[in-house]
Amino acid sequence: MDLKALKKQESKRKISKGYMWALFCAVFWGIWYLPGTVVWVLNPFDEMYGAIAATNGDGVSLVITAVLITAFNALTVMIALMLWNGVLGKYGELVRTLKEFHPCSKWFFLASIFGGPMAILGSFIAMGFIGGAFAAVAGLLYPVIGSILAYYWYGEKISKRAAIGIAVIVLGGVSIYGGGLLTELSSGNVPWIGYLGGLMAAAGWGIEGAIAGKGLDIAEPDAGLTLRFLGENIIWWIIIVPILAIVGFPMYSYALQAFEPLTLLVLIFAGITFGFCYVTWYKSFPLIGVGRGQGIGNLYGFCAVIFIFLFFGDVPDWTILVGGTLCILGSFVMFTEETSALETLRGE
Amino acid sequence: MGNRPIKFRILELFMDGKEYWNYEIVSKIQEEYNMNSAYGRDSINFDIIELASGGMLKDIEQKVDEAGIYKKDFLLHKYVITDFGKVRGSDACMRYA
Repeated sequence: MDLKALKKQESKRKISKGYMWALFCAVFWGIWYLPGTVVWVLNPFDEMYGAIAATNGDGVSLVITAVLITAFNALTVMIALMLWNGVLGKYGELVRTLKEFHPCSKWFFLASIFGGPMAILGSFIAMGFIGGAFAAVAGLLYPVIGSILAYYWYGEKISKRAAIGIAVIVLGGVSIYGGGLLTELSSGNVPWIGYLGGLMAAAGWGIEGAIAGKGLDIAEPDAGLTLRFLGENIIWWIIIVPILAIVGFPMYSYALQAFEPLTLLVLIFAGITFGFCYVTWYKSFPLIGVGRGQGIGNLYGFCAVIFIFLFFGDVPDWTILVGGTLCILGSFVMFTEETSALETLRGE
Repeated sequence: MGNRPIKFRILELFMDGKEYWNYEIVSKIQEEYNMNSAYGRDSINFDIIELASGGMLKDIEQKVDEAGIYKKDFLLHKYVITDFGKVRGSDACMRYA
């Protein structure tokens, strides 16, 4: 075979593999909202919510319960990623990367602060207070935060095309938030904490992406992501859960009750889907470029709405559907522009 | 046995500014990290692809592997470090310098 034909074949193989990983990411990410929504009505979380609400009010109770759910999510993601690294034979690389705290792993720990207590906690709060479809679609705003941050932080220019994409996504955001808000304002009952959760998800993932990239480009993603979740587990299980327990919330007694078959199954399901959506996301980047990988990954919004419809029979408000469509459209406009990251791919 | 993350070591090898074929780097890392299986070889090569897609290495030349030095009838790639790669590489690799 000649050089030209071989180049074509190699680039075709790369691109089809890359799109496959990115689609897997969208599907896993979308499915994650199923266990994430279901877990709220399972014990001990259901009971915990009721018990704390009786003494401290609904808002506080919701956040405290979301903390425990997020902590378990981090734990099961960590288990899934450790198995994954074991299969790949990467424990050695994991330890080598962990040791490089200064150039590398500090970024993963910093990223986990924004990814965990902000993005994932916010998502669970939005799922618990408003619903899975809202939580999923609200998260789609993260590229706006990410690119504004990159503008101020590394002085990265925002091109005309990216600006158009951002405008479309923001319009989508207005639709997602505004639609529900209008009807709720007239009835005088606004679930503010749920909306705040949606904003936390978007802001947290935007910031996490900007920070984690600094470490991930010089580490193996399989090892890097595991360290990012190691950081999140430390935050929840060594810092926040004990502090809440000391303040007087019954964290440990409910945590111990989570070890019943159905709850455990749902939590493990959440861990597997969430862990692998991160892994497949990063696997797609070198093959089709970060832009296209993120654009396709954002189809998770659609996947989530479809899965929620199939499993729960819930049809979200039309404002959420319109907003989600705008966000995905905007992310394609924004991400599919030409960047240096794609150059190597296009050259072949 | 290598004791730094593999991508650090790959960047370190490129820091001299010279051009290297992927099989030269892969076999060196395989030896240093005791990763002699076909799986180890492919996973190191994927690290090089990731560094190139991250803009730290640049793919400057390709040829067909007719003799089977790396993988028969597959493409071989020649890389050189970029300016961005030098910056990231010196952040990461020059800790002991």
